[in-house]
Amino acid sequence: MQELKELAKKLLEEKQVSAILGYEYGRLGPRPAFATTISDCDRLVFDHRCVHNLAAYLSPRRTQVAQLGRLAVVVKACDARAVAGLIRESQLKREDVVLIGVRCGGVVRDPAADQQLDAGTVAPRCLECEKREPALADHLVGEAKPAPPGNAARDARIAEIETMSPEQRLALWTSLLERCTRCHACRQVCPMCFCERCIAEKTQPAWIETSPHARGNFAWHLTRALHLAGRCVNCGECERACPAQIPLGLLNRKLARVMADRFGYRVTDDPSAPAPIGAYRLDDEQEFIL
Amino acid sequence: MSNRRKLSKTDLAALVGDLLAAGTNVIAPLRFADQGRTAIEYGPVRDPDEMVLDGPQPVRSLKEAVFPPTDVLFRWRQTKSKIEIEEVPATFPETVIVGARPCDAAALDVLDRVMGWDFRDEMWFGRRQATAVLSLACTSCDDSCFCTAVGLSPTATRGADWFLTPVDGGYEIDVLTPKGEALLERYKARCPDSDGPATRAAGVEEKVRANLDVRPEAVRAWIETHFEDAFWKRASLRCHGCGACAFVCPTCHCFDIVDEPDGIDHGTRRRNWDACQTNLFTLHASGHNPRKDQAARLRQRVLHKFGIYPSRFGEVLCTGCGRCVRVCAAGMDLVAILAEIGRAATEEGGAR
Amino acid sequence: MTSFEPRIVAFVCNWCTYTGADLAGTSRIAMAPNVRIIRLPCTGRIDTLFILKAFERGADGAIVSGCHPADCHYTSGNYHARRRFAVFRELTEFVGIDPRRITFSWVSASEGGKWAEVVNGTTERVRKLGPFETYPGRTRSAGEFACKS
Repeated sequence: MQELKELAKKLLEEKQVSAILGYEYGRLGPRPAFATTISDCDRLVFDHRCVHNLAAYLSPRRTQVAQLGRLAVVVKACDARAVAGLIRESQLKREDVVLIGVRCGGVVRDPAADQQLDAGTVAPRCLECEKREPALADHLVGEAKPAPPGNAARDARIAEIETMSPEQRLALWTSLLERCTRCHACRQVCPMCFCERCIAEKTQPAWIETSPHARGNFAWHLTRALHLAGRCVNCGECERACPAQIPLGLLNRKLARVMADRFGYRVTDDPSAPAPIGAYRLDDEQEFIL
Repeated sequence: MSNRRKLSKTDLAALVGDLLAAGTNVIAPLRFADQGRTAIEYGPVRDPDEMVLDGPQPVRSLKEAVFPPTDVLFRWRQTKSKIEIEEVPATFPETVIVGARPCDAAALDVLDRVMGWDFRDEMWFGRRQATAVLSLACTSCDDSCFCTAVGLSPTATRGADWFLTPVDGGYEIDVLTPKGEALLERYKARCPDSDGPATRAAGVEEKVRANLDVRPEAVRAWIETHFEDAFWKRASLRCHGCGACAFVCPTCHCFDIVDEPDGIDHGTRRRNWDACQTNLFTLHASGHNPRKDQAARLRQRVLHKFGIYPSRFGEVLCTGCGRCVRVCAAGMDLVAILAEIGRAATEEGGAR
Repeated sequence: MTSFEPRIVAFVCNWCTYTGADLAGTSRIAMAPNVRIIRLPCTGRIDTLFILKAFERGADGAIVSGCHPADCHYTSGNYHARRRFAVFRELTEFVGIDPRRITFSWVSASEGGKWAEVVNGTTERVRKLGPFETYPGRTRSAGEFACKS
């Protein structure tokens, strides 16, 4: 995309940033790329296979990336919500990053395997796409694109689980979660999992067992979903990264609905919107409390 | 000397049925399709018709069959006056793996070196002893396969007790080991003598060779002399530092040992898979971390596999299965990394 | 006729519910003996992981109780807790932990009677549900929990 390359070069030439974080074509498809020189910028691309959420690299814990200096980051509208989350939670200052918003019409779930964008290959996050260009951006590149293809069937899984009895659900989630090997890819790719010391790493006491058995995995995944309540931006990277192919996004999307239904909260790329957990209202519903 | 037999597809299914009826565990590639998960994985067979022997490579490797993600080492119980240790048995139920990919079977053999090196790992060898591996020649590959670059091939027989080559209507079997002979002895009614040489599919091998053409010795020479090279930082910037690559890898074997209380006075000591790409892997109790950035961790991974293991055991700790490439969410690509190192080695007239 | 005695762990705040439970005791109100109380400064301190831990280690049910809204000793702890518990309840119900195993309540320092109702009601409800044997990897201490009738 020529517009993106020109903008990247300009930002570098004018020393507005030390590096551009965008996408390049790897051997098998698009992947995250860091352009630190003018010639590097010619590698920058954007297409419908650029599913990766680059906001994950903006955490201060990413020391190697932080050492590059001030970054310009290519963000889709969905990714910008994660950037907003980092700003909201004081992990990033707005003025320390340049945001290159990119107009998007949907992305595929597997950048290597899925070549065409259609109802079968569309990434889960696109099913809830609200806008196709970020408001949180310093620049906007790319042509306006139509809405991503929908797939109502895929989104019905939460409803399907909710028709099951507690015993059936527990059996289902036990069988799904016991396949987890605790590689923590879900945590590492998540822009909002930036704790310097994750609760799963604490040993005195070890609240969450590190062993990849059903008990430890249950504690880990439920805790992670709870810690992300109201913070997860539904980018689906956790689910894409999971080598055991556990549909982790179901937990986060379920909680996103709880946030919307109970607290009127919708994920936004506005950093000044308060997060629902950490805030409260005096008249919050308490129908479940005796 | 190999003992060549043939086996029709129906007889293979019947053989698996016989094994199951005899109470033997059978592991084969199966299709898992539930709640959005559609993939081929090695798993326990309950019905021979579930086996998928002509599909893509299973996402996870076979090492789980002999080296589970979590493994109990012993149990303890504490009374007022002492601690009682309950050992876990080191004998395991008989298992047959049907349809192992050659890269996965070879990996078990490669790992036998380190598992029997300075301390004999009884859990590993106990399971190895109880497990027969029936490999199946690959009839398909993708852009991530590179077994030929590490001394193997889609028809490599290393690590197999039987090696199956697909032919019309079934398979040619090469029985390669005493364990394979013993298995044949019990089920030879299903496997008559073969009447001709096995015809091996060559097409797949060409494609794999085209994916990566590099010599492990050249890689080793370069990485051993470029410890501080800027390449490591550049190549590791996109890495998220998770354990996905290590956990799907058939030759990665690092583990962590934990003591887990199951109650106030009793518990379990376990070993769990661990990954060198996480920032915790070498974190000392003092807070010092000798590998404190991703560049150091990536360098270590490549060095261990292509430098240290060869220097100690004479071969690389990699069978070119390509899983690390496929599973990486950040697009770290070992094939590209090795190719780049290979090119650098050639340009510098790297040690031949 | 059942011999199953459920084990229930209660996480209560020090200022309201713990005092209310004490009042129930000093008032000699008969209560089921199945509940073991863990005292915390405030419901806002209750990490929902505590509840999962209780189930992991053999509890069949749980009670979480604190000050009424507007009465929190630390002003707003229970407001934060209220949101957290709502989210926890929805998530655990989604993954198959029967919500009838957990009771959330506001019990003030003067509501000894209410505490007894919470204890007795929860015990009976969990007794009907039976032991929570299907909680993944559940273990039980070898020690006796000692609730023989």
